[in-house]
Amino acid sequence: MIRYVTRRLIQMVFLFLVFLTVTWFLLYILPGDSVALKYAGNPNIPPQAREVAMERLGLDKPVLIQFRDYMFNFFQGDLGVSFNQYPRPVVDIIAERLPRTLVLFLAALVTYYWAGFVAGKYLAWRRGNRGEMLITVSGVGLYSMFLPFFALMLIWLFSVQLGLLPLSKFLDPEQWRDAPFMANQVFMRLFWVTLAGGIAMFGASFFALRTRSRRLERGLKWGGFVLAAVWILFYWWGTESGQAMRVYAGDIGFHMILPVLTLTLIAFAGVMLLTRSSMLETLREDYILTARAKGLPEGMVRDRHAARTALLPVVTSLVLAVATVIDGGVITEAVFSWPGMGEILISSVLSEDIPVAVGAFSFIGIMALVGHFVVDVLYGLLDPRIRVTEHG
Amino acid sequence: MTTRKLPLEVSAGRSRLLEVDGLVMRYDTEAGEVSAVENVTFSLGRGEAMGLVGESGCGKTSVALSLLRLAPDNARYQSGSILWEGVDLLELSDQKMREYRWAEISMVFQGAMNAWNPVYRVGEQIREAMDQHFDPPLNKSEKDQRVDSLFQLVGLDPALQTRYPHELSGGMRQRAVIAMALSCEPKLIIADEPTTALDVIVQAQILEELKEIQEDLGLSILYISHDMAVIAQVTETIGVMYAGKLVEFGSTREVFHRPRHPYSYLLLSSIPSVTGPRRRPVSLEGTPPNLLAPPAGCRFHPRCPWATEQCRTEEPPMMEIGPSQWAACWNSEQVPEMGEQLP
Ligand SMILES: Nc1ncnc2c1ncn2[C@@H]1O[C@H](COP(=O)(O)OP(=O)(O)O)[C@@H](O)[C@H]1O
Ligand SMILES: [Mg+2]
Repeated sequence: MIRYVTRRLIQMVFLFLVFLTVTWFLLYILPGDSVALKYAGNPNIPPQAREVAMERLGLDKPVLIQFRDYMFNFFQGDLGVSFNQYPRPVVDIIAERLPRTLVLFLAALVTYYWAGFVAGKYLAWRRGNRGEMLITVSGVGLYSMFLPFFALMLIWLFSVQLGLLPLSKFLDPEQWRDAPFMANQVFMRLFWVTLAGGIAMFGASFFALRTRSRRLERGLKWGGFVLAAVWILFYWWGTESGQAMRVYAGDIGFHMILPVLTLTLIAFAGVMLLTRSSMLETLREDYILTARAKGLPEGMVRDRHAARTALLPVVTSLVLAVATVIDGGVITEAVFSWPGMGEILISSVLSEDIPVAVGAFSFIGIMALVGHFVVDVLYGLLDPRIRVTEHG
Repeated sequence: MTTRKLPLEVSAGRSRLLEVDGLVMRYDTEAGEVSAVENVTFSLGRGEAMGLVGESGCGKTSVALSLLRLAPDNARYQSGSILWEGVDLLELSDQKMREYRWAEISMVFQGAMNAWNPVYRVGEQIREAMDQHFDPPLNKSEKDQRVDSLFQLVGLDPALQTRYPHELSGGMRQRAVIAMALSCEPKLIIADEPTTALDVIVQAQILEELKEIQEDLGLSILYISHDMAVIAQVTETIGVMYAGKLVEFGSTREVFHRPRHPYSYLLLSSIPSVTGPRRRPVSLEGTPPNLLAPPAGCRFHPRCPWATEQCRTEEPPMMEIGPSQWAACWNSEQVPEMGEQLP
């Protein structure tokens, strides 16, 4: 496993270098002089000032030198400065935006995968049920919906008509006027606390799959859930820092509901249908018949044998989901005015703020590569056949 | 005469473990009803080895799965009973049936190569069965001990129990399947084409070992195969199925020596003879009928060289031919002798 992981890591770094190079040249070279024109070609700027500006931004040097400098600086953590928010470092902008995007989409990804997997599992198990048709049709209906349109419909329904949820944005500025915390500080806290709870839950269900007693399995599953809930309640109500931040964290959480709901509704059907077909295929396998013949209870046949194996292609599909989330993310962030990477990507490209654009692209690339890597490792953990062939 | 009951008495004296009586099972499909098991009657004694042969699609697996009540969801039992030590399995509650599975009747499935879930270790999958069926439950060391001795019994290194299925060879997997089938001390093992996927040498070894284990432990066993030669070596009684019906039943010796149903005769003739005199080249032509619309009269008549007008219209009942042989054929005395010893 260690060798496998190292090899994948080296591959990733290499891929990233290629990606970064291509991105850099596309963005710096293709628009050609327009970079210079936009910023330094303004006729209202005297030529001397223009030269100073060009020099300051390093735009007077030959392209290859610029590229070399960029790469050199990149790996020292310096991605240059924004043209538009001069002299704010690009790294600073990304550090602010990246967590917001990550958290929003991880939350959406986990929710819709979980919902899709559970729904698909039951659809396959209770095939021919009256509800099946209804769920499948509505799932496919949602799945084929145009994302921006659907998002606007939900905003209209929940925010405008019902007034239940905020329209857009990441927090409510009114409430934060005299806040003693930075938004990102609260946000990160929210993220870590939830992640810890999530890990407890995931860990418990992982062990639940390993036990052979049905009762213990159920106990572990619920135990993990309760543990996570208790931890989250304890943190926000029981600790001092939690109590102080609670209102603000609540506000951010509140703003996340609608985008997460939108992405979940639109995407879960894909996972559901994949799980369903994977599960139906698994159910035809001989080992399912063997499991039944052994006299295992139906729930055990379903969860431990069928669903556990049916999970494998679903995990593989996470790789594609990473891509979907990234491109869907740009749109979602735009529709919900969610100040994350997608939003900065669009605005920087439109305003030709090239350093920010390259920085944003490179981090989106990193996200995709890391996502892919995580999926690979997860798959290796779940499928013993891969584990062996890969190290041997 | 009520010929239907006759095969039940084939080995009178021994107490009957399993009695299948007039079983009719059909599959509901969009195209109509598939008549997969039609009025099948046979019985099996304690410690007895019985074979069920027939070409693929004749309903052998359907019979086998019925014994565990594991037939696909679209199976409908129209009539008949499956008595297990006098209890009708078709009448049991799901919960009760679950307790019977593996503890009373276990099964080595057709294509047992795929009987293992790829994501769990073999030992784990065996323990999983043991966890269901012992009262009081076995503790960890009892289970370990039991798995060890089962592995030894089937000729496997006990260390292999911590392997994943894909790490074992076909023969090893098949042996481990047998170990798993024995794990809860069943009285009957159903072996549905247990060795079809293996090469001939391993196949013979495993059959022989299975036979030995069966005799040592006093188990009953129901071998299912499309291959008459395989069945002959390991069984005492044999049932021949054609198109959902049991067409001949009797002691293996009798059926092999003098089959009285044309189908059995043609099946046997198609085995290449190694010893014995050269046989007349008779071949079994055509394929089994579509069970959505089986032929009227005797289901075998379209392929039968001896078919008469009666065969086309009237269904032959099981008729007693000898002291331990029954055949469902109007012209059974016309079926020639095999002129061959048991292999
Ligand atoms: N689930 C099912 N639905 C409809 N027909 C089936 C089903 N399973 C088996 N059959 C049909 O029933 C007949 C008997 O099948 P099977 O019992 O598997 O025969 P065998 O084991 O002798 O090859 C075949 O014609 C097969 O096509
Ligand atoms: Mg079969």
